[in-house]
Amino acid sequence: MKKIIIGDQLVKSFGEGDEKRNVLDGVSVEINEGEFVAVMGPSGSGKSTLMFALSGTDGVNGGKVIMDNKNLAEIGENELSDIRRTKMGFVFQQPTMLKNLNILDNIILPSMRDNRKNAAQITEKARALMKRVGIAELEKRDITQVSGGQLQRAGICRALMNSPKIIFGDEPTGALNSKSAQEIMDIFSKINEAGTAVMLVTHDAKVAARTERIMFMRDGAIVSELSLPKFTGTDMDGRIEQITVKMREVGI
Amino acid sequence: MHFRIIRNDMLKSKAITLTTMIFVAAAAMLVSLAAILIVNLTGALDTLMIQAKTPHFMQMHSGALNTARLNAFAEQDANVEDFQVLEFLNMDGSQFRFGNRSLANSVQDNGLTVQSEKFDFLLNLDGSPIQASDGELYVPISYIKDGITKIGDKANISGKEFTVAGMLRDSQMNSSLASSKRMLVSKHDYEELKHAGNVEYLIEFRLKDLSKTSEFETAYASSGLEANGPAITYSLFKTLNAISDGMMIGVILLVSVLVVAIALMCIRFTLLAKIEDDYREIGVMKAIGLRISDIKGIYLVKYAAIAAAGCVLGYALSFVFKGMLLENIRMYMGESENTSLAMLFGVIGVLLVFGAIIAFVNGVLRRFRKISAAEAIRYGTSQEKASGAKRFNLSNNKLFHTNAFLGIKDVLARKKLYVTMLAVLVISAFIIIVPQNLYNTISSKSFIKYMGIGNSDMRIDIQQTDHMSEKAAEMLKTMSSDSAISKYAVLTTKTFKAKMENGSEERVKIELGDHSVFPVQYSEGTAPRVEDEVALSVMNAKELDKKVGDTMTLVIEGKEKNLKVSGIYSDITNGGKTAKAVFTDQSAEMMWVVISAVIADKSLIGSKVSEYTDKFPFAKVSDIDEFMAQTFGSTISAVGKASYSAIAVALLIAVLVTLLFMKLLVAKDRYSIAVMKAFGFTNSDIQAQYVTRSVFVLIVGIVLGTLLANTLGEMLAGAMVSYFGASAFQFTVNPLSAYLLSPLMMIGTVLIATIIGTSRAGQIKISESIKE
Repeated sequence: MKKIIIGDQLVKSFGEGDEKRNVLDGVSVEINEGEFVAVMGPSGSGKSTLMFALSGTDGVNGGKVIMDNKNLAEIGENELSDIRRTKMGFVFQQPTMLKNLNILDNIILPSMRDNRKNAAQITEKARALMKRVGIAELEKRDITQVSGGQLQRAGICRALMNSPKIIFGDEPTGALNSKSAQEIMDIFSKINEAGTAVMLVTHDAKVAARTERIMFMRDGAIVSELSLPKFTGTDMDGRIEQITVKMREVGI
Repeated sequence: MHFRIIRNDMLKSKAITLTTMIFVAAAAMLVSLAAILIVNLTGALDTLMIQAKTPHFMQMHSGALNTARLNAFAEQDANVEDFQVLEFLNMDGSQFRFGNRSLANSVQDNGLTVQSEKFDFLLNLDGSPIQASDGELYVPISYIKDGITKIGDKANISGKEFTVAGMLRDSQMNSSLASSKRMLVSKHDYEELKHAGNVEYLIEFRLKDLSKTSEFETAYASSGLEANGPAITYSLFKTLNAISDGMMIGVILLVSVLVVAIALMCIRFTLLAKIEDDYREIGVMKAIGLRISDIKGIYLVKYAAIAAAGCVLGYALSFVFKGMLLENIRMYMGESENTSLAMLFGVIGVLLVFGAIIAFVNGVLRRFRKISAAEAIRYGTSQEKASGAKRFNLSNNKLFHTNAFLGIKDVLARKKLYVTMLAVLVISAFIIIVPQNLYNTISSKSFIKYMGIGNSDMRIDIQQTDHMSEKAAEMLKTMSSDSAISKYAVLTTKTFKAKMENGSEERVKIELGDHSVFPVQYSEGTAPRVEDEVALSVMNAKELDKKVGDTMTLVIEGKEKNLKVSGIYSDITNGGKTAKAVFTDQSAEMMWVVISAVIADKSLIGSKVSEYTDKFPFAKVSDIDEFMAQTFGSTISAVGKASYSAIAVALLIAVLVTLLFMKLLVAKDRYSIAVMKAFGFTNSDIQAQYVTRSVFVLIVGIVLGTLLANTLGEMLAGAMVSYFGASAFQFTVNPLSAYLLSPLMMIGTVLIATIIGTSRAGQIKISESIKE
């Protein structure tokens, strides 16, 4: 299977001198095309840092990140921005939207940077995506006028606008109630089925149980992995059980 | 705890704290300077008027004088403490020659006098009365200061030689606004020159009780005593003496108001931004039961600290600069006795600035009341709806690039914040354009029409010579056969008596000749065309109380003749009091002749001027540009300098404020910046958005500033110029500099400031800033 992103011996440290500590301590990861991956671990284990490193949002102190045969640590800021905009999508725990813009404008913003001429097509695509995630009627609303779950769906639409190869989700359901969380996870599953790779950072076993490969992190290292069959809507409890057993096993 | 919060806060925003403090310091310095100047001015003025024993009431009079009757009145009136009549020998300005320079163009009535014996003394710089020896001449301070003459120079008054022996302080006529200037000579010299001028009388009284001045004034006026001339009281002398320095103080106060306004704008901006930032914390503090006054305290203390530091710095600076500004007062009026009082008033002024800032901050913080604790904690931002701009959507934006769109959208959505920056930029544009337009207007060739002279190339003055009319005729003969001269006109100035309605007589200088060749600027009516018409200068019309269509009685060739006032025109030459008519007259004495000419080939002006100078040594031939430079050069260059410094100051303000605002915005917007960067916007995209914001605000600011400059600014400048006698004032705008270069300069500086101010945006780390 084709690899989209390869992280090789990644080191990321914070602090100086005696205070210095490695949040990523030689982590190697590969993510394949169309894969559905989760990274689990307690707070401070380095899971979000790993996501920021793999997506080129934050530099690393050692190792390399390869995407499309390019080492993200060696290319310029602008090229990095281009890669993030055209090949990656992001969904954060808190809905990261610009206050001044309404929902629709927030969704089309990254696409409009390059293709203003195709505004009509871009808007059409955004409306189709919004319909797909069930927020079609909210396009003119301000971001303060909708619920957290609705905002998160808008965030997913924005991530999908440029048809990325991979979507990174940093605790995307962390701020939602369980019903909304489940609905958001359904959307991620659908996206993945359509062929987009998804990498989720979470400490919630219910979220991880939807994925096919789970990496467990502790103290800046991947300590174990678990592969699951494709989720078909059944046996959720069994999958969660497998994960919790593994978590106890590695002590997280 | 407060101290630590403030210190951390200031360290985090050094540039912002510093800029705010600089503006506060500048404001405090100016206010303190104004206070110190006011106290010193009044103190020095009192000292001068006590030393000089300025009369409490003075009636100027020209014509016969009945001394016995005046003596009787003075003895009879219980208010009178002392009484005297001084002579003022009024002579034409051309009679005074300092080196090769005469006072012919002086706007003042110049005259000689001798030292008084009882009161109204003319003082030396030590404050004691001057005793002039024969051959010595003492001149007003302003003549030395303006470089008309120097101490030790030779002077010639109506053919008699003098040595300029010193300067005199004249408690009555020091000010350039007093229209007369007294020069002091010995009694012997005075008697010798008495034939060369007209004696005017200064009938002066000292009163026992100064508060009874107006009562005495009425008594004098109703007594039917000599009163052909203005009457002036002690308080008016005081005003006249105070007015030029008073105007400087006024300008300083005006500028300080502007600077205080800018300082307040900066504070408002930073404070609003800070409140937006701390929205959640404020909500939490409210929720856990802190009183609003407690929360306000935390913010107030920080600004109190900045304001206090700025005020102390400004007060200290005012001591550095006060010497420079007090120089004028010291020279014209002497030392003031209440220096400690001046310091006290300086402190009071600075405290006022401090109080204003605290009150303002307190006012801005009032919005704490409106913050709902629940809303603040839940959303972390104000849920107030941004008004307008709702329709301005990215999805139907076809006009702007996405970055430009985001910049404009931000300005429209946060109007309250940006209106502060707009206000400062409007002020800057105004400060740049008004002085520049004024300078351009007074230095343009067409400004000459406000001066009571038509637009010509060459000007020939014939004066102080015998047989003027024959000489003028001789010149005209040459000129009429000179093919280089395309047109010319002769204007002869003579003095006539005008009969006033109350029976008194005024002497009026009238220019006779054809006024249609070189027309001047008429604010009302037209030039005189027929024999029984006369046009008056604005100042003369005011003084003689005439309007267009009124009649005026002149004594021409011994007969009274009624003339109709055909028009009123601008004139700032000859003290602004002139008249124009076309009638012929053979009787009155000719004062001077002016011939104006247009030279067809402009490149020949220089050679023609020297040709006529050589051919007619009795005449003063000048290039009109040179003539303008002589009469008006110092004013033009002063205004020019002022306009250049205004540009520099305004640009500096624009740079500082833009830098401050941009730095603050970047700090405030780091979350949005991180979001955009995460979604693939490059650093130059972000910078482009900020540049759009400031350029958008700037363009609105330039448009508003230019509109204001051409309306309010023109009115202000017109009011200033009308004081010199020019009316119907309109800016002559140089469109290239006012509408292209100045805006470009502002855009350039604001752009640079924006780019520097937003350079930090690139260093914002997504991973650190995106998690709230």
